[in-house]
Amino acid sequence: MQLQIRNLRKAYGATIALDGVSFTASAPQFVCLLGPSGCGKTTLLRMIAGLAQPDGGELRLGTQDLTLVPARRRGFGIVFQSYSLFPNMTVAQNIGYGLRIRGDAPERIKARVGILLDMIRLPQLADRYPWQLSGGQQQRVALARALAPEPKLLLLDEPLSALDAKVRTELRTEIRSLQQQLGILTLMVTHDQEEALTLADRIVCMRQGAIAQAGTPEELYSRPTNRFVADFMGLSNMIAPEIVRRLAPHLLDGDAPEADRIACVRPEDIRLDASGTGARIQQVQFLGNLSRLRVDWPGGELIVEETGYTQLRPGMEVGVAFKADRCAWVSAS
Amino acid sequence: MTGTIKRARDSDRWLLAACLGVPLAALLIFFANPLATVVAYSLMEPDGQIGLGNYASVMAAPNFWRATANSLVMSLSTTAVALLLGLVIAYATQRCRVPGRALLLGAVALPLLAPSLVQGLGLIFLLGRNGLITKLLGIEINIYGFWGLLIANTLYALPQAVLIIAAALRSADARIYEAAEVLGSSGVRRFFDITLPNIKFGLLSAAFIIFTVTITDFGNAATIGGDYAILATEIYGQVVGQMNFNMGAVVGILLLLPTLLAFYLERVATERQFGSGSEAAVPLTPAWTPARDLPMTVAAWLIALLPVVTIGIVVYASFVWLWPYRFDLTLRHYAVKISGGYEPLWTTVQVSLGAALAGTLLLFALGFALQRLPRAIVKPIYLLCLLPAAVPGLVLGLAYVLTFNAPGMPWQALYGTATLLAVCNMMHYWTQGFLTTMTGLRQVPSALEETAASLGAGLPRLVRDVTGPWMAPTLVSVFFFLFMRSMVTLSAVVFLVTASVSVASVSIMRLDEAGFTSQAAAYATCTMAVVVLAAGLMRLSLRLLGRGG
Repeated sequence: MQLQIRNLRKAYGATIALDGVSFTASAPQFVCLLGPSGCGKTTLLRMIAGLAQPDGGELRLGTQDLTLVPARRRGFGIVFQSYSLFPNMTVAQNIGYGLRIRGDAPERIKARVGILLDMIRLPQLADRYPWQLSGGQQQRVALARALAPEPKLLLLDEPLSALDAKVRTELRTEIRSLQQQLGILTLMVTHDQEEALTLADRIVCMRQGAIAQAGTPEELYSRPTNRFVADFMGLSNMIAPEIVRRLAPHLLDGDAPEADRIACVRPEDIRLDASGTGARIQQVQFLGNLSRLRVDWPGGELIVEETGYTQLRPGMEVGVAFKADRCAWVSAS
Repeated sequence: MTGTIKRARDSDRWLLAACLGVPLAALLIFFANPLATVVAYSLMEPDGQIGLGNYASVMAAPNFWRATANSLVMSLSTTAVALLLGLVIAYATQRCRVPGRALLLGAVALPLLAPSLVQGLGLIFLLGRNGLITKLLGIEINIYGFWGLLIANTLYALPQAVLIIAAALRSADARIYEAAEVLGSSGVRRFFDITLPNIKFGLLSAAFIIFTVTITDFGNAATIGGDYAILATEIYGQVVGQMNFNMGAVVGILLLLPTLLAFYLERVATERQFGSGSEAAVPLTPAWTPARDLPMTVAAWLIALLPVVTIGIVVYASFVWLWPYRFDLTLRHYAVKISGGYEPLWTTVQVSLGAALAGTLLLFALGFALQRLPRAIVKPIYLLCLLPAAVPGLVLGLAYVLTFNAPGMPWQALYGTATLLAVCNMMHYWTQGFLTTMTGLRQVPSALEETAASLGAGLPRLVRDVTGPWMAPTLVSVFFFLFMRSMVTLSAVVFLVTASVSVASVSIMRLDEAGFTSQAAAYATCTMAVVVLAAGLMRLSLRLLGRGG
């Protein structure tokens, strides 16, 4: 089952929400739509769900043109940030609602609800009402409700954002293992790059209604094609070509970079040498599993990360070494 | 230095004591005391013995059972009809795209601006023996009785039903509906599976309010009830017609039972509504759906037309030379000579001003004190303040007659004065004013009050600089609410008027009873004009306050 999106466009008045978005995804991929708020990622998800209509472009699942199918006939599952369980129904009734709509026999619904309750590990809560559940439990029920009718596509709209940090990481793992177990094509909207990195097979990073870059998490992190993606995927040092040429010529690998490109070096790809010279430590932050250092370097200030606890102290002079193969040339805009 | 602080603390304590003491004394003297008197009268047998003899003789009378049965049938029918119509209006305005939403809500709210007799008057002008529709169609309908009363009561209860149901419909999470849609649920299914179950307690609460309003209403029954005797008219007949105070007291107590029950259940329902409601994450904005919105527009506007036509016709008829024969416009009906002319209208304005001013001050003082007192003291006072809403106006009025017309009591001097009318109205609408005040006080940021206190502000300063300004819009609303209700109420004050001190709604009733229907219409129009003016003033003051703050 392949989801094909081609040149999808949408404008709300003068604001352009989607400016010609195209990508394809197929089962059993987990795709993250990543970007800052207002980048159009939620609009895109809602369009796939059928909750918003595109102004133009193609939206297909397999051979079926989705734009002609209303939301309630698409057979997808959706989970929102706000849990959105039906407050008047019990957990079991919530999970079984899609099956009841479909007209399944009561005993069939009961059996399927039982399977899902086991799957989300909450069989003891079948008769509770949503308000009696914690946020994490509610979101697992919402997930089970979306999965109950065996949807062709699972859509997750920032499902973890409302949860506190510990529950978030737990549920993140759970969602991923459920998805892999069921082999279902899943699209998740998130603004959290760490979430996208840990969950996704593919990341579609969006900016101002267009795709900034799409690829595997590794590609987006290590080989960003533009400064926006590089910044969004984590901390990085942006170094102008003339500085590279002067201070770290080995990064150029002999070639001249294309015009309007700058070097992007991740903090963990810089090594500091206590016996070397040429740079001075400005500040050291200990973050537990790593230490982050600000270094005064002739080419500007650098951010460097070392694993664990560092012996370096502010004021010490150090040498700076860049790992040659870990530098990405990104477009400056 | 310590002396000054001690003095300041002492003066704060005195202020707090006054804030609590004065309203509490008013509640005890003017609410608890009369209510206890009614109970005492109902138990006092003709031979001076204490017992249930009066109850036995009331229950033995066939009139009583007929009136009770009629009251129940009428209230249940009104509840069913008004609930359905209220749901249509509330759903149309909250969950559909209908044109003229504000106008629609305004039209339905019209009966709140008029004395409760006006619905009855309007129906008589439309469907009575000389009614417009009756004459035009040349048909013979008897509007006096069950059907007329049902329509009048429905119109009267509808604004409150709409208010409650609309509030229940307002808090909705759009995502819940989208989740249902993606799961395959159609619009109709979403209504029955999600919307309806989630406003269950709102509907229940509205049903109890409609029931209470209907079973205790007197004005409509007096104008259009005809031979259809209900408990409210029964009390009036016993007391005013036969001067049988003990029997009136018994019927009053019996009328108190269903309203107390309905009131209690309504409180329970309101609390449950709170428990199951989820905070709306994304507010619902209905999309234009012709299949739903077109029929809803037609239905809602047809319903809204009812109060507009019924009340509009009263205004129109007041200017017509001779209804329904000569439709020249004239002001002659405005020259009201009998039952004191316009004197009662001015009395009503004064009474209403008094009730509103005293009520607002007392409620604010009480609320301010309650916020600063321990829970153990607050709880019983809170309950006492909720009680007036459960007491029908007729019972309260009767209680006032029995209490304040008793010779030898220190407060007897109040009987027959406008002051007593004002006090009675204040007590009658105490609960709604109290709840509004408390809601307002809860919204005053406590951090602001604490900041002022830590800067050294005593209670008087706090009231002047923080609480007062913050509460101003709420107090303005409470003031005008008390004023407007007081202008149009009939049920309580009907027992308290005398030949020299009377009110507008009683004049309308007397004019109508005497057959001067057009003059009654003119009088009603004048009363409504005052209320509309007050409503306008309220809007203006709220807007000015909004800009100032």
